[in-house]
Amino acid sequence: MKRRGKIWAWFFIILGILYFFLPLLATFLFSLRAKLGVLSFQAYANVFSDPKFIRNFSASLLWATLTIVVGVLLFVPTAYWVRLKVPQFRVAVEFITLIPFVVPAIVYVFGLVRTYSHPPLLIVDSPALLVAAYTILSMPYLYRAIDIGLRSIDVRTLTEAAQSLGAGWGTILFRIIIPNIRVAILNGAFLSFAIVMGEYILAQYLAKPAFAPYMAVLIQNRAYEPAALAVISFALTWACMGLISLVGRGQQTQIAGGH
Amino acid sequence: MAFLEINNVSKIFGQAVAVNDFNLQIERGELVSFLGPSGCGKTTTLRMVAGFEIPTSGRIVVNGEDITEKAPNQRDVGMVFQAYALFPNMTVADNIGFGLMIARKPAADRKKRVAEMLDIIHMADFGARFPYQLSGGQQQRVALARALALSPQVLLLDEPLSALDAKIRVSLRAEIRSIQRKLGITAIYVTHDQEEALSLSDRVVVMNGGRMEQVGTPFEIYNFPKTEFVAQFVGQLNSVKAEVVDPASNRLKMDGQQVQTAESLLSYHAGDQVVVAIRPERLSFTTEGVKPNVLDCSIENITFLGSVVRVTVKVGQFNLFMDTFNNPFLELPKIGDKAQVTCSREAVLVVK
Repeated sequence: MKRRGKIWAWFFIILGILYFFLPLLATFLFSLRAKLGVLSFQAYANVFSDPKFIRNFSASLLWATLTIVVGVLLFVPTAYWVRLKVPQFRVAVEFITLIPFVVPAIVYVFGLVRTYSHPPLLIVDSPALLVAAYTILSMPYLYRAIDIGLRSIDVRTLTEAAQSLGAGWGTILFRIIIPNIRVAILNGAFLSFAIVMGEYILAQYLAKPAFAPYMAVLIQNRAYEPAALAVISFALTWACMGLISLVGRGQQTQIAGGH
Repeated sequence: MAFLEINNVSKIFGQAVAVNDFNLQIERGELVSFLGPSGCGKTTTLRMVAGFEIPTSGRIVVNGEDITEKAPNQRDVGMVFQAYALFPNMTVADNIGFGLMIARKPAADRKKRVAEMLDIIHMADFGARFPYQLSGGQQQRVALARALALSPQVLLLDEPLSALDAKIRVSLRAEIRSIQRKLGITAIYVTHDQEEALSLSDRVVVMNGGRMEQVGTPFEIYNFPKTEFVAQFVGQLNSVKAEVVDPASNRLKMDGQQVQTAESLLSYHAGDQVVVAIRPERLSFTTEGVKPNVLDCSIENITFLGSVVRVTVKVGQFNLFMDTFNNPFLELPKIGDKAQVTCSREAVLVVK
C-alpha cells in the first residue's frame, strides 16, 4: 500500500516536471537552431550584440533598482510604524498592499495616464511616474516580505531598548531594524526585481524603454531571438529565486537560538 | 529633596486606570522594587519613568529636573527588559558600546568602557560573540552591562529574571544587587516574585489594582503588613477571621479560642469582626496548657519541603499552616493526633 502511494507520488512529480520543463526545453532547443542544420548560440549572440537589447535591458535594470530603493525607503518605515504605533490598522494596510493583485495593470496604467497627462500634474513623460507605478506594482511582494521580517523580531522591545540608550528614530531604523530584517528586504527586493524585469504593460503604455516591450517587438520580426530572450528571462528569474533561498539560509543560521 | 521623585502620578488608558495617584521618593543609590500581581500597574509606572508612557497626571523628577514630558532617548535612564532585547545583528561588545556610540564617545574611550563592563559582568572573553551564541543568563548580563555602560542616572529593570530558570535567577539577582551597590546607581526593579523583591531591595513598594498598598523595607513589608493584600501576597500566611473580645487588653477570639495581639485594638469595639494574620513560621508546638495564644488543634497534614516541614493543623473550623525547620531528629506528631500550637502576641497581626 505504502509502495503504491510512493509510485503515485513519483508519477505526479515527474508529470509536474515535464509540464513545467518541456516547453522550456523546447524553447531552449528552438533558440539554438538559428543556424541552419547545426545547434548554436547564434540567436543569443544576435541578441547580445543588438544595441536596442542593451538599451532596453539596462533601462529595465535601472527601473528595477530604483523601484527597490524607493520601495524599501517607503515600505520599511511604513510597516515599522504600523507595527509599532498603530497595530490596529495592520489589517487595513495589508488590504491596501494587495490592491495591485486585484486591479489589472491595464486599468491601472490608463488611470495613471488620465490623471497625470494634463496640468497641474503633467508628469506622464517622467521616468519618475514609471518608477512610482512599479513601486505600487511591487508593493504586495515587498511590503509583505518586510512585514513578515518585522514579525520575526521583537520590534517594540528593540525600539525601546535603543531609545533608552539614546537612539533617535533614524538610528533605530537604519542600525537596528533594517539590519535585522535585511534578509526579508532582500527577498522582497529579488521578487520585485523579477516582476519589474518582466513587466510589459506599464512600460509599453507609458512609452519607456524596457526589456519586455523590446521582446514583444522582437517576436513580431524574428523567430529564434525571442526564444533566446525567453530563456534569458527565465534564467534571470531563477537567479533571483536562487539568491532568495541562499540569503534565507544565511538568516536561519543567524537567528537560530536567538529568540 | 529625593533623587528620584514620582509625584501624584496616574495613568489612564481609555476607561481603565492603570496607575492611581502613585507617590514615591527614592534616594540616590537606593534599589526599590515594585512588587505586585499582573496588571497591578508596576510595569506601567516603570515605563512612565523610562518615558515610554506619558502620565495622565503627576510629575516625575530626577535629580531636580522634571523629566515627565521628555522623550525616552533624552532621559539618561538605562533599562533592562524581560526579553533581554539585545540587538541580534551586533556582537556583545557592539551591544554594550551602542549607547556610547550614540553619545559620540571617542572610539578609544568606548573600547575601554566596554572592556570594563565586560569585566564587571565576568564575560571578558565574550565580546566577539553574537547574542544567539549566549545562554539566557549571559544575555541578560550583557543587557545589564549595556544599560550601565552610559552610567545612567537611574537604572530600570523590568522583570529581568522572569525568563530564566530558578538557579540562574538566584545567582543573577545577587550579581545585579552587587553591581548596583558597587556602582551606587539608583534603581527600580519590577517583579512579581516576592522572594526576589525581598532579597535584593532596600525598599519594596507593594502594588495592587494600580495603587500602592504599602512601602517599606523588606523586613517591614514581611513582618508588619499593613493591609490584608500585602499580608496575603508577601510570603505564606495564615489569614483567619476573628472577633474582638476586649479592645483594652487586645484580646480576640478565633472560633471560640482566645488570642492576644501586641497591636492596639482601641479603635475597635467588642464584637467587631477583623482578619488576623499569622506567619506559619511564627507558630510552634507547645504543652503549656490553657493560656492566651495557646490553641488546641489536631494534626491534619504534614508536608516535607526540604529545609522546612509544613504541618497543617485544624483549630476549630479553620486550618493553620505551621512551618518548622527540618531537622533529622525532629519528632513530628502523626496525622490525627491532638496537639497545642502557640505564637507570640507580636505574631498576631490585625490587618485591614
